[in-house]
Amino acid sequence: MTQIGRIYLLVVLFFLYTPIIVMMAMGFNESQLYELPFTFSFRWYEALLGNKQLLTAGMNSIIIAVITSVLATSLGTLAATALARRTFRGKSLLQLLLLPPIAIPWLITGTAMLVFFYWSGIGRGMHALLIGHVALAIPYVVLVVGTGFKTIRADLEEAAMSLGSTPVHAFFTITLPLLYPSILGAALFAFAVSLDQFVISYFLATPGYSTLPVQIYSAIRKGFTPEINAISTLLLLGSMTVILIFARFAKPGDTSDKR
Amino acid sequence: MRSDSLLNEAVRGPSGPRKHRMLPSWVATTALLLPTYAWLTLAVLLPLLTMLVFSFMSATPMGKAPITFTLKHYRAFIDQPYLLNIGWTSLVIGFWTTLLCAIFGFLAAVALARATVGRMRETLLILILLPFWTNGLVRVFSWTMVLRENGFLDNVLHMFFADAGSISFLYSRYAIVLGLVHGYLPYMILTCYIALVTIDDAIIEAAASLGARWWTILFRILIPMATPGLISGAVLTFVPVIGSFMEPRILGGKVGVTMGTVIEDQFTQAFNWPLGAALSFTLLAVVLAIFATFSGVLRRGAAA
Amino acid sequence: MTNVKVDAVAKTYGSTKVLTDISTDFVEGSFTSLLGPSGSGKTTLLRIIAGFIKPDEGVVTIGNNDVTNVPVWGRNIGMMFQSYALFPHMTIAQNVAFGLERRGIKGAAARKEVDRALEMVRLSGFADRMPKQLSGGQQQRVALARAMVIKPSVLLLDEPLSALDRRLRQEMQVELLRIQRESGLTTIFVTHDQEEALTLSDTVAILDKGRIVQTGKPAAVYERPTTRFAAEFLGDSNFLEGKVEGGAVRLASGTVVRTASMLPANGTDVTLAVRPEKMMISAGEPGTNRLDARITTVIYAGPVLSYLLETPDGMSVKLFAQNKDGVVLKQGDTISLDWSPEHTIAVAS
Repeated sequence: MTQIGRIYLLVVLFFLYTPIIVMMAMGFNESQLYELPFTFSFRWYEALLGNKQLLTAGMNSIIIAVITSVLATSLGTLAATALARRTFRGKSLLQLLLLPPIAIPWLITGTAMLVFFYWSGIGRGMHALLIGHVALAIPYVVLVVGTGFKTIRADLEEAAMSLGSTPVHAFFTITLPLLYPSILGAALFAFAVSLDQFVISYFLATPGYSTLPVQIYSAIRKGFTPEINAISTLLLLGSMTVILIFARFAKPGDTSDKR
Repeated sequence: MRSDSLLNEAVRGPSGPRKHRMLPSWVATTALLLPTYAWLTLAVLLPLLTMLVFSFMSATPMGKAPITFTLKHYRAFIDQPYLLNIGWTSLVIGFWTTLLCAIFGFLAAVALARATVGRMRETLLILILLPFWTNGLVRVFSWTMVLRENGFLDNVLHMFFADAGSISFLYSRYAIVLGLVHGYLPYMILTCYIALVTIDDAIIEAAASLGARWWTILFRILIPMATPGLISGAVLTFVPVIGSFMEPRILGGKVGVTMGTVIEDQFTQAFNWPLGAALSFTLLAVVLAIFATFSGVLRRGAAA
Repeated sequence: MTNVKVDAVAKTYGSTKVLTDISTDFVEGSFTSLLGPSGSGKTTLLRIIAGFIKPDEGVVTIGNNDVTNVPVWGRNIGMMFQSYALFPHMTIAQNVAFGLERRGIKGAAARKEVDRALEMVRLSGFADRMPKQLSGGQQQRVALARAMVIKPSVLLLDEPLSALDRRLRQEMQVELLRIQRESGLTTIFVTHDQEEALTLSDTVAILDKGRIVQTGKPAAVYERPTTRFAAEFLGDSNFLEGKVEGGAVRLASGTVVRTASMLPANGTDVTLAVRPEKMMISAGEPGTNRLDARITTVIYAGPVLSYLLETPDGMSVKLFAQNKDGVVLKQGDTISLDWSPEHTIAVAS
């Protein structure tokens, strides 16, 4: 039974990775029409270097992801602190309010943002994308940092206060250092969420300002060359790296009190 | 031992209580929560509210035409029966995607929980989840490389049967479902796995010692105990799937017309925002009904 | 001589009254245990004294200062927690120095204080270790050093020994008592362990349902419980119920029991408490109370034998006897019990 189980898992992995690997490989194939036999070539990566539009979009994606990560992590950590450490009325309602950005299909959230931003005069473009991305990333940050809080006993802060720390001082000297891996993990996660976000960006981008996934989508719709495979490969490897680093950080317990 | 001298020294430090005044605790709580919830209000709640208002408008408020409020967009399913077909297509795609994810995902979770241990299990879990957290659009795109005529699939076939024709099924519902299963399988594996790892080995050994065969263990122990995981996996697969639009577009081509693509069209092509908003809200109602139905299970799943 | 004073303190959560009208003094240099079952409000009272919780009503005074509105960090208290609460990312020395730093003592001066505090708890060589590398008992000693080094006005202990195993716990009790005696620090100790409370305290305060039901020296509270709850929670008791009749109490079975306690008027219902170890297997001494009972169970606990007995009218009685001759009596034997009216205490039920 164990053997069958392991073989089955390999089949699942094969299913999950085959298309990705095929897609990546085609970025290194000489033929413009994806014809085989396979002829190795950096042609499409070289073409990429000359593609201003894709490069700009890539740069935009990274800038948005960095800003999103910083903002969402700051705001989300504050909220997670209140949700984890304070008792107040309506807490469960506030926790429920974190769900819409995660649980409602992005198509609905995205089109709603489009309508509201148009109607309110906020408009579309970079700032609109930022508003949307940060909102999507915040719930994940609260989740990751909240999980981090669970590994830190509340009486550590109380001990600090009994020794003369104000709550703010206790937070910065005790809680924050212990929470640091979770916060870093949350920041990476927020970065990945933003980098991979397509649906929201699609509705909020303008012809002059878009992100990489939006560019890839319109290329797929309008006809494309293996250049798209090349840039997709880079995007995929980028977010995989970030997620793998996150997986190392998110492992709670290294600094936590295990008793 | 000089400890006594330490202890007998005069009391030092803040001799009297410092003149700190405690802020009411709600002030600090509000300060911590306000930025996040203000942001979410601006970016999610107000937009949803605005869209609700738009869904009652007679036309997109862009031109000069006077705007009146109407329920007609919510009647679209009656006025334009083809929308019913499209809605049905979305549900069918959602159903098959969820079912296939549940079957293959549950089995993978069982294999993961019972046939692997330690480092191997950890590595496999990360490998399974890794694609889920990468760009969904790119993953959908990568299936076109496999499924297109003369793509990877055809090439593999021709390696064995040189004369065979093409078995490409890009631009079909099968392709859409395949792409969606690929997208959500990792999530289903995760939720089932979380439910399954909590099952104590002793329970299965106890069942085996009582004479249970593997199918009895599967149907009487593993599946019932993994039900919360299966349900939350199913809900969190079905909901985004019925709201998907890029998968049907890219993998379905002309046959890929779903609620998602119709809504997208209203906003990007037809510029009939009120209709799009009404359809979005109808979809949202379905989504909320699903969440409400399974909220108990989902909450327990979240607590685990 | 009062160091800490709690006056008319009350606390309500929602509709639950956690503490009702608590007034008590903690004498300078004394060791007081707050003893009660979980939910009795003992921890809430300690946390109100510490300043983590603000009382709805009442006043808390530490060393002549009304601190009711002073937050924890301004109260100069030393506190030990059940979980030790050592900062896991700091060395032992950094942990101990934390409070000193908050008081502006740094560098060599702080180092000297830390060394002395660690010496006091016999952990001199451990300054540069991390908390994780220490055993539970050692961690708790560090916590004690950390609380003491700031020379607090009062030491508050929230069940600090309950996470330790039996042997370590006894060692720590001795250590704690030594350090408390040497320092002369007013100490308030929350516990649900009656033996611990009796061993360590100068004063025991028994809490039940948010009220202090009895306060006094351990021996006084043990020997003269005033309520049925106190008699039951602190140690074991047999309860005899009857009516007052001519300066004695007549039980339902007709047996007349005499007591040294003051009794209410004739005809009043009354509950008498008798400690199981005060009862003796009859030696026929005159002037004692007496009951006949059948042994239902004999429990052999090493130095002590406990007998569970039943009187002819169905009342259960417990008796603890010193194990002098091993198990002689056995189940089914009927014996007579003797005890002195001195040890028969009328309690409020």
